[in-house]
Amino acid sequence: MSVANIKEQQGKIVIALEGEIDLENAGEVRKALLTNLKQKKDLLIDLSAVTYIDSSGIASLVEGLQVARKQKNELSLVAVSPRALRVLELARLDKVFAIHTDVAAALAARP
Amino acid sequence: MTDTQTDSRSETGALNFAATLARSFAASLNVDATVGQALASIIQLLETEAGSLFLLDEAGQMLVCRASVGPVKIDGLAVPVGQGIVGRAVAEDQLVVVENAYEDKNFFKAADERTGFVTRSILCAPMRVGDKLIGAVQVLNKRSGHPFDGLAGKDANMLQVMANAAALAISNARLADQLLEQERIKRELELASEIQRSLLPPEDDDLPICGINRPIREVSGDFYDYFELPDGTIAFALGDVSGKGMNAALLMAKTASLFRCLGKTIRDPARLLSILNREICETTSRGMFVTMVAGLYEPSTGMLRYANAGHLPPLIKFPDHLYETVAPDAPPLGIIRDMHFVDHEINLKGGLFVAFSDGLTEFRYGDEELGVDGLNLLLEYAHDGPLRQRLELVLAELDQGGWEAKDDLTILAIDDRAAGKAWQREHATLMATPTEGDFLFGLSFPADPSRLKFMRPALEAAARACQFADDEIQDLLLAAGEAIENIMIHAYGGQAKGEITLAVHRLPDGIMLRLRDFAPRVDTGKIEPRPLDEVRPGGLGTHFIRAIMDDASFIPLPDGEGNLLELVKRRRAAPESPSDTASAMAGETDSKGGN
Repeated sequence: MSVANIKEQQGKIVIALEGEIDLENAGEVRKALLTNLKQKKDLLIDLSAVTYIDSSGIASLVEGLQVARKQKNELSLVAVSPRALRVLELARLDKVFAIHTDVAAALAARP
Repeated sequence: MTDTQTDSRSETGALNFAATLARSFAASLNVDATVGQALASIIQLLETEAGSLFLLDEAGQMLVCRASVGPVKIDGLAVPVGQGIVGRAVAEDQLVVVENAYEDKNFFKAADERTGFVTRSILCAPMRVGDKLIGAVQVLNKRSGHPFDGLAGKDANMLQVMANAAALAISNARLADQLLEQERIKRELELASEIQRSLLPPEDDDLPICGINRPIREVSGDFYDYFELPDGTIAFALGDVSGKGMNAALLMAKTASLFRCLGKTIRDPARLLSILNREICETTSRGMFVTMVAGLYEPSTGMLRYANAGHLPPLIKFPDHLYETVAPDAPPLGIIRDMHFVDHEINLKGGLFVAFSDGLTEFRYGDEELGVDGLNLLLEYAHDGPLRQRLELVLAELDQGGWEAKDDLTILAIDDRAAGKAWQREHATLMATPTEGDFLFGLSFPADPSRLKFMRPALEAAARACQFADDEIQDLLLAAGEAIENIMIHAYGGQAKGEITLAVHRLPDGIMLRLRDFAPRVDTGKIEPRPLDEVRPGGLGTHFIRAIMDDASFIPLPDGEGNLLELVKRRRAAPESPSDTASAMAGETDSKGGN
């Protein structure tokens, strides 16, 4: 399972990812992001339970970010696991994404 | 004087008649024409006003008029044996002379009454070929006005001779007709056989696959087919239709055509068989079925994927042993409409894959059956030379050894020796201990992303054994995963097929991974990392590999043997672990203290 849970909180859609995300299931992540972005709402991607993510998973997040920006929505990462953070750093994308410690912090943050 | 003249005339006539019949026999092999000519000649010779020729029907019950000459045509008239003059001649198997028809109780007056012809005298002779009666010929009213002379007279004598000559001609014509019919059926069978042969694939000695089909009769219920797909994969099938003869041949033609059509788009043998099965169930008469093996073979890797619908398990002949594949796990096609078939995957590793119909293993020598063991011995014997030659040698050995075929016979073989050489060389590469370190483990798996998760735990354990720190291990898993994904996407084009091997070696200061694929050579220039400021999906993987690994390089392989990527990661150059030093010192202290 790559997409664990999708719920709406205070007008934002929270998508929780989990487990190992690689070429096998990165497509599911991409689809979940793009489908939910059609609602024109901000997305919070919870990465706390992600134990492995590779370039294909990162690519899905990047594509979601690009679509979100185009339609003037926010796409933020929350509770990023150390493993996922390491990969974001390797990709030098840790400064590209807005990253929050948890969902509450993300909801409180004002752009 | 008169008698002598008549004699000489009739002798000449008889000769002429024989000559005429001979000519007509040569000119026409048709029964109707022979009958007409025979009657005409008899009437001319005996100088009568009318005549008719009757032949017995197949049941021997009715005499049917096949030709008539005179003012009244009675062609087609049927008379039961025993009735009328003709019927009496046949029933009694002897000449009948009627000097005055109207005084004979057997005479059938109705015809005369209807036609106005007045029958005066009749002479009728049975027609016989050897012991077999085939009909009778009768002549009516001598032109001279005289009645026919008696049973011992010249007319009677002449008619009996002529009748038997005519019978021989007719019998010959009938045989000729039968021959003609047999010839026609034979020609049709030859045509059918030709069409069937055209359904078999053309011989192509460049391909590592070859088949032979030898029907026991003109047409076959067996078939095989193979063709190369655009990426070099070879699709193949071998099937055996229940029964023999034309209905089996037609179902064979249908199954073979469906395979050829579906096999070009459906790259999954199990699914292909299930579609074929449904199609055959829907449209084939009950009681007929097809056993079939269908599969895909990749010459570049030796990988073989196949499914088996109720057919004899194919064999794989390795140089040192014979491997019999598992028994079929599904029934033949055409029995149960919704059937699930199973794909099996195996690497031929240089072996010879042999699928065959039972006609091959059921070759008999007296009571002895060839069987799988016999086939194995023959394959061993015919181990050398081009594939077609080897298969032909197997069959030639059987033929020359006095073995007898009992059924249609089909054999289809794939020779993986070319690919196998590459595989063995690769295997040697993988197993060879590098200049430093030792070989920990190797994995071989299809280029399918769903296999990545199996690789990671094994590599993680190996990295732990090489004493990497946790964060280094996680990085190593990422780099290896990226390298494998690159192979899947770039080398194999994202088709989720093809084989990848991973060999892991421990180095004194780290770990070495060797990744091998069997795809066309990768243009390494194409997988350079993208600039990182170019934020878009893709291109990150190679960057990760470069960032994590200390060395990543392609090891040159001969053309056509795939790609070999060597990845090396060394342990972080950390200062000596303080805890280790501390405990070592503590131990020293303790021992000192003990003193």
